[in-house]
Amino acid sequence: MSGYSAEVKVAETIAYKMVSLPRRIIKETQRLLQEPVPGISAVPDDSNARYFHVIVTGPDDSPFEGGLFRLELFLPEDYPMSAPKVRFVTKIYHPNIDRLGRICLDILKDKWSPALQIRTVLLSIQALLSAPNPDDPLANDVAELWKVDEAEAIRNAKEWTRRYAMDN
Amino acid sequence: MFAFESVFQCIFAPSSPRIWGTTENADNALSTNTSVVVPSDPAPPYMEVYYPVYYPSPSIARTGNQLTEDEQVKIALRIGLIQNLPEGKYGDCEINTECVICMIDFVVGDHVRYLPCLHTYHVRCIDDWLMRRFTCPSCMEPVDTGTFDWI
Repeated sequence: MSGYSAEVKVAETIAYKMVSLPRRIIKETQRLLQEPVPGISAVPDDSNARYFHVIVTGPDDSPFEGGLFRLELFLPEDYPMSAPKVRFVTKIYHPNIDRLGRICLDILKDKWSPALQIRTVLLSIQALLSAPNPDDPLANDVAELWKVDEAEAIRNAKEWTRRYAMDN
Repeated sequence: MFAFESVFQCIFAPSSPRIWGTTENADNALSTNTSVVVPSDPAPPYMEVYYPVYYPSPSIARTGNQLTEDEQVKIALRIGLIQNLPEGKYGDCEINTECVICMIDFVVGDHVRYLPCLHTYHVRCIDDWLMRRFTCPSCMEPVDTGTFDWI
């Protein structure tokens, strides 16, 4: 009897969450699918409308050119009052992205504003690939090399892109 | 007996959501997060009291009963400042056509708030944000430079 009611409770919670999905999230999702940003794709998960599978192409004239980088994006309960949670799934050699894929970007932290959107967040992340900032590091070893021997760091970034972000 | 036990295990497996809070679960919660006081025998759901959540700073969320005295003062001041910002009914010849927080087009008669930078939002949308951070979402300017900087 208890098991049955627990299952009912879970089902009710899921149904409630689907019904109560804010109009803004529905609208953003529709726009992302109808007018995709060049070089960026974001598709909501089948079972969770707040979880997006993202692919960002490495910008031209960057060490990440030609790579397809997978990310995961999650809209927390109080979105847009708090920022989406975004993480690289594909390994990337970048001074502002650590080995767990966590991203050091001000708009994901203290510079978040509800006027920003999934679209603008992903564009900022793509811009971060074009403009690595070793002075505000998250991956310390990468940032150090980037400052000491930029040519070598860029070679590493290209090698990682070839190895992890191409042909898969 | 064996069957009963396995059913019991299934219902109260550690990974399943805690509904009634056995003592064992309460102990786990205590050991992993000492800042949260978990009563060993919580009230059943129909007796739970829901406290509103406040944000003394953007990354800190606390329920009303967990605020320190300083935080209570800070939040009371902030509520006062928000209530001093002009509000009104959305007219038919305004610059902003959409509330960028909820992304819904304004309709004449909507209850809106005007910030000093002239950006307009639904009262409910902007007040929710201003309770967390005293900046305009669109231009990121402090809602009133100088005077309210310390809030």
